[in-house]
Parts: sequence; structure tokens; C-alpha cells
Amino acid sequence: MAVDRRALEDFLYREARLMDEHCYDEWLSLWAPDSLYLVPCSQEDIDPAHTVNIITDGPERRQDRVTRLKSGNAYAQEPPSRLVRLISNVEVLEERADGEVVVRSNFLLVELRRGCQRLLAGRQWHRLRPRDSSFEIVWRKVVLLNNDEPVSNLTFLI
Amino acid sequence: MQTEQRAHTGRQAEIDYYDLVRDDRVHSRLYTDPLIFEDEMEKIFYGGWVYIGHESEIPEPGDYCLKWIGRQSVIMCRDEDGRVHAFMNRCRHRGNSVCQWERGNANFFRCAYHGWTYRNTGELVGVPYRDRYPHLEQKDLGLTPVPFTGSYRGFLFGSLRDPGMGLHEYLGPAVLREIDNFCDLSPLGEIEVRAGVQKSTYRGNWKLQAENVVDGYHVAFVHQSFFDLHKVRHPGESNPVNSLVNATSYDLGNGHTKLLPVSILSGLRDAPWFADYVRALEAAHGKERAQELVATGETHMLVFPNMAILQSQIRVIYPRAVDQTDVHYYVVRWKGIPDAMTERLLRRHEEFFGPAGFGSPDDVEMFERSQVGLNARVDPWLLLIRGQGSEERDDLGVLVGRYDDEVTQRAFWRRYRQVMTA
Repeated sequence: MAVDRRALEDFLYREARLMDEHCYDEWLSLWAPDSLYLVPCSQEDIDPAHTVNIITDGPERRQDRVTRLKSGNAYAQEPPSRLVRLISNVEVLEERADGEVVVRSNFLLVELRRGCQRLLAGRQWHRLRPRDSSFEIVWRKVVLLNNDEPVSNLTFLI
Repeated sequence: MQTEQRAHTGRQAEIDYYDLVRDDRVHSRLYTDPLIFEDEMEKIFYGGWVYIGHESEIPEPGDYCLKWIGRQSVIMCRDEDGRVHAFMNRCRHRGNSVCQWERGNANFFRCAYHGWTYRNTGELVGVPYRDRYPHLEQKDLGLTPVPFTGSYRGFLFGSLRDPGMGLHEYLGPAVLREIDNFCDLSPLGEIEVRAGVQKSTYRGNWKLQAENVVDGYHVAFVHQSFFDLHKVRHPGESNPVNSLVNATSYDLGNGHTKLLPVSILSGLRDAPWFADYVRALEAAHGKERAQELVATGETHMLVFPNMAILQSQIRVIYPRAVDQTDVHYYVVRWKGIPDAMTERLLRRHEEFFGPAGFGSPDDVEMFERSQVGLNARVDPWLLLIRGQGSEERDDLGVLVGRYDDEVTQRAFWRRYRQVMTA
């Protein structure tokens, strides 16, 4: 049975909203227990065994990320940036019999911080597994357009 | 022409660095005045030794990468005979930049504008339609080399004017020893700067980063959230911050400074591969040297003006404007260490450093907050008196303070003043 595209897009929009609104715990709950979150600093395909990323988060480090952001002592997000992002160009790349899908989408993120508004654009890939009437994230990669150029703090959820 | 020269001299006469850089305080104008920034470019970045890159970034003949000296683009490349060169990225014809890619492999650099072509030795080998240049001396029109270069253990430095002393003299024995310790953490004695680079930028002056990388005082406060995570993940272990009380900071001369931190290796002793690593070090360097390296091989050092070596990174500071700075974190691999150790060190770097780490972004936030505060002029002084007068000299004459003293900032500014008033 083909994946419900509406449900898929709703999931991506929901994740975007949770990140924009700094709903850290709810965002964490979207992830599967065996999941990986990657934000490379290269436009090429790199092997994390040999090359550094901006983010390589398994479940433990992802939890630490949220704990830190909630602590009030993560000064790079005190006060939190004001965020809004757009998700579009959603393409289903892979559909498995067990319902797992790989989906690709583009995003445009606007951040307002200390009077300065900046744009970040990128592509993202999600591997999603059905859970309840929605999905959970098994794997997510975010490739910012400018990931190999100097970027300001990326301390909010990308 | 004469009017311009007078105006230039007139501007310079306004900047009295003896007034702005005192022994115990510095003036906030040093962080906010665009004229001082331009003066720094001329005197510091274009007038003496600055770090260019590491030769391991271009391991094969033909490899090249683009670097910066101040705001001048430089090609660092390796020719067919394996020799490393540093050239200004500028065609000798009419100034086009001849190299557009940040890294790659090429035998030639061809200027796209009029087709002038240079070998990767710098030699000008091709000038289209030469007949209209009857007297052209091609041999005098090769890519302009960075006039003075020097390297140590692959760390390549350059100077656009006569720096007045050789590189090894500029670095001094203490810095050379730190670089040795860093490289000898590899059983093969070699680092590879080929594990990727994180690039960040902030709205603030470059000296905020230079001062911060050797600042011990801020660690317990700015990075409290990081240490709180450590407490949760490693209950029962003592807080690393507590051990810093007995740690030290050093003025290594010529503006170079160092902190003695908790060694990165101390947290890895329980890893299954650690014993293999130590055995490999002992086989390579001997037991005594291996133990010394494991205990204190890691360094945490600023090499004036723009480079720091700490943990598993080489950090390079690129000033862009008086209130805009780029910082690149080049991650280092040590040749000959277990693969699992390499991977662990990469993940460990990401944990603290880079634009989404749990440490660096809070430092960057402090720089941006400082840049705001520093524009207030009513009371313009920054106090640098912490631990002043309580320093000691070690056996080698190096000035030593407590980890959280400002001996490192005072050392930076002494060198700064020396260069800016020369």
C-alpha cells in the first residue's frame, strides 16, 4: 500500500513546528530508540568514521542536546532564537513493504537573533518508520547549502 | 599622492598604542575601531609570521588548497617533486584570481580571463598570442610566492614582509616542544589534517577569540551546562572543573601562550583500545617518552596571532572586519592510532566544538555580547589584572600563572603592542 503522503507531509511539518517553537521534549519523542541524526559540514558524502560532522547524534547525545537547551545555561540560545521554517519539494525516494519510507525535502529557515535576521537553506533526508498513526524518525540527515562555509551558531534545533 | 600619504600618516598618528595597551588594561577601541583593524592587517597579518595551513592537507603531488593571509587569498600546493609552495592567488597580468576551488589537484593554474597559465611550481608557462608582447620576460612573471615561508612538523607559516627572524626563532623552543608533543601522540610522529573542517563566524572582533582560547577563568561559568551533562553521564566521577584549580597558564614568549588543561586522553583510559595505543606509543617513542606523552602530550596553545592547537584540532582565526571574524576548526587525525580511537576522538570533538557543539557556541555568544558592550565608551577599559604580580618563572624562564589568571591575555597584548608600535 502506498504511503499516505498527507500523513508524511504532516509529520514533516509537525517536526518543523516543534523545532521552530523550541518544543524540545516533544521533538525528542519523534525519534526511534535506534536512530541517528547527522548534520555534515561537507557537500560531499563523507564517512563519519574518518571525518568530522557538525552533528552526529545518537539517542544519548540527542538527549544531552535537549537537556542542555532546557537548562537555561546554554547561552547561545538565551534568549532562544525566533525561528520559522518552510518545508517543500517533498519526494518519496523509497518505500518498503514494512512501511518504512525514505523521504527527501527542502527547507528554508529564517532565524531572528539580536536584531539580525538570517536565512539558512538546505535539503534533508528522513528515514521514517510507521508508529501508531504517524511515524518515528530512524535516520535524518540535514545538508545545509552553506555547510562548508562559515556559519553562525547552529545551537537551535536544525 | 602626497595628500594621500599625509592623510595616511595623519590617521596613524592618532593611534597611540602605548596609551591603548597598558600593562594591566586595554582600551575597548582596540575591538571597535575600523582604523585599528586596518592597521592590524598591515602590521600583524601582513607584517610577520602567520599560520597558513598544514602540509598534510596536500599530501599528493598536484594537491592544492586555498588559504588566507588576512584578506589575501593564497594557494598552498605541492608540485610534482613533492615540494610545498605558497603563492598569492593572483594572475600577474591583471590580477584575476587563478584558483577558484577550495581544494583539488592540478598541474597547472590557468587564468580564465586571458588564458595565462602557471605550473604548480609558479612558473608562467603559457601566454596566449605572445606576439604582441615582444619583450615579455616570462620567467619574471610567475605566480608571486609568499615571500617568507617556514614550516615545522608540517605547520606552514608565511610572512608577506621580512619578519626579522626565522620561523623557529619566532616560535621559540617552548612552542616547538608543544608541537612535538602534539605530533608525537602519533606512533608514527605524524598528524593528518584531513578529517574535515567546521567553519564558524561571529559578529565580533578577532582578538576576542584569540584571548578566549587561552582563557581559563571563563570555563566554569560559560561551560557549566557542558559539565552538568558530564555529571549526569559519569556519576561518581569528580567534576573536571575542580581539577583545574591546580592547573596553570603560561606566557611562552612572542605572544604565544598555553593553558595546562585536563588531558583529553585521561577520559579514554577505560576504552578497550587504549592499552594497544599506549603499546604502540611505547614501541615508537620508548616507554618514558610514551608515558610523558600520555600524561601531558595534549597541548592547549595559542600561536600568535591567529592559530591555536588544542585537543584534536588546529583552530585558525580569520579576521574579516573589525566586528566580523571567521574561525575554522580543522580536525586532526593521528597516524597509526587504532581506528576506533580516531572515531571516538571525532565524536568527542563534535560534542564540544563547532557551531552545534555543547561548548564553542556559548563562547561565540560571549564574543557577540562583548562586541555590543565594548561599544559603550564612557568607561572604556578592560581590566587584565587577574593574578598579576603573583606569577612565577619556571626553570626555563617561562612566566607561569594559575589556570584562571590573565597572564595569557597580558602576554598576548604585550606582543600586540610590540608589533603595532614597531
